[in-house]
Amino acid sequence: MKNIKTLVAVLLLGIVFSNLILAGELKKTESFSLKDYNGKLHSLSDFKNSKAIVLIFVSTQCPVSNAYNERMAKLYSQYKDKNVKIIGINSNKAETAEEIKKHAAEKNLQFAILKDENNIVADKFEASSTPEAYVLNGNLEVVYHGRIDDNRKAGDVQTSDLSVAIDEILAGKAVSNPKTKAFGCAIKRVNK
Amino acid sequence: MKRKSLLFVFLLFVVNLNAQIKVESLDKHGLEKIIKERNGKVLLLNIWATWCVPCREEFPDLVKVANEFGKDKVEVIGISTDFPEDMKSKIIPFLKKQNVNFTNYVSAFKNDEELINFINNDWNGALPATVIFDQAGKKVAFLEGKRNYADFTEQLNRLILE
Repeated sequence: MKNIKTLVAVLLLGIVFSNLILAGELKKTESFSLKDYNGKLHSLSDFKNSKAIVLIFVSTQCPVSNAYNERMAKLYSQYKDKNVKIIGINSNKAETAEEIKKHAAEKNLQFAILKDENNIVADKFEASSTPEAYVLNGNLEVVYHGRIDDNRKAGDVQTSDLSVAIDEILAGKAVSNPKTKAFGCAIKRVNK
Repeated sequence: MKRKSLLFVFLLFVVNLNAQIKVESLDKHGLEKIIKERNGKVLLLNIWATWCVPCREEFPDLVKVANEFGKDKVEVIGISTDFPEDMKSKIIPFLKKQNVNFTNYVSAFKNDEELINFINNDWNGALPATVIFDQAGKKVAFLEGKRNYADFTEQLNRLILE
C-alpha cells in the first residue's frame, strides 16, 4: 500500500514528460503535468476525453499575447460547453505564478494557466513565441499548430485559424489548415 | 543683432533636421527591390519591434555593426513590426534613443505571415530575427532570436573577406 502511495506521489509530484513522438503524420505527445497559478496540478491525460485540447503559450507582458486576451477569453466561453479544453501555458522565466494569477483575474482569463517553470513543455513542443497555439485530439496528437488568427488587431482579422480548426474537429473533419505561423514575442526561456 | 538671431534660428533648423529620423513603410515588393539593389554591399536585415524585449537588447549591437563596417561594405536595414500608427509615439522615440545610424522601415506587408514566410520559411515568427544577404542578393544566413555583435561580425567578415 505504501509502495503504491509512493508510486502515485512520485507520478503526481514528478513532472512526467516524454518526447513528442511522430505517429504517422501527426505528432503525438504523451501526458505531462504542470501546476497552475494556484498550485493545482493538471495532467494532460486528465483531458483525454475532451474532443479537443487547446494549449496556448501565453505571456503577461508580451503586447502581442495581451492583444489576444479578449479573444482568448471569448474562445474559452465559446467552447467550454462543447467538451473542448482550453489551457494556457506560461513558459516565460520572468513571469511568476503570482503575476500570472493577477493578470488572469484582471483580463478575465477563466481557463487554467499552467506555469512551465523550466520550459519543459515549451521545449517538448518547440514553442517559440506568445501567443502560440497547439490543438490536440483525444489521442493527444497535435492536429493544429500556429496562430490564433491572422491579425494582431481584432478588427482586421480575416481568418480565425484556431477556431476553424476546433470547429472542424467538433464536426468530425480533418483540420484543413493544420500549420500556420504564430507571430509574437519570443518565449524567454530559463538559462540551462 | 538681427543677424545673430537669424543665425541662431538657422542653426536650430539644422540641428532639428539632423534629429529627424525618417521611417517609411516597406512592403514585399519594396523589400525585394532592396535585396536586389546590392551595389556590391552585403545586407544585414533585422526584424524587430519596440515591444520586443530581446529586440531592444540586441539593437545597440546593430548600431555598433553599422558604425564599424563602412557604409560601402555593409548596409544595415531594420524593419519594425510595430503598427504604423505607433510611429510617433514608439518607433521614432526608440530609434532616437538608440542613436540609430541605419535605415529603418515599418512593415507594410499584408500580414505577419507574409513577412515571416518571405524572411524564412522555417521561421516561426518569434522576434527578433536577422537575415544576411551577400553582395549578389543571395540569402546566406538566417539568425533567429537575439544575437550579438560577435555573431553579426562573424557572418559579415566571412562575406567581406571572401
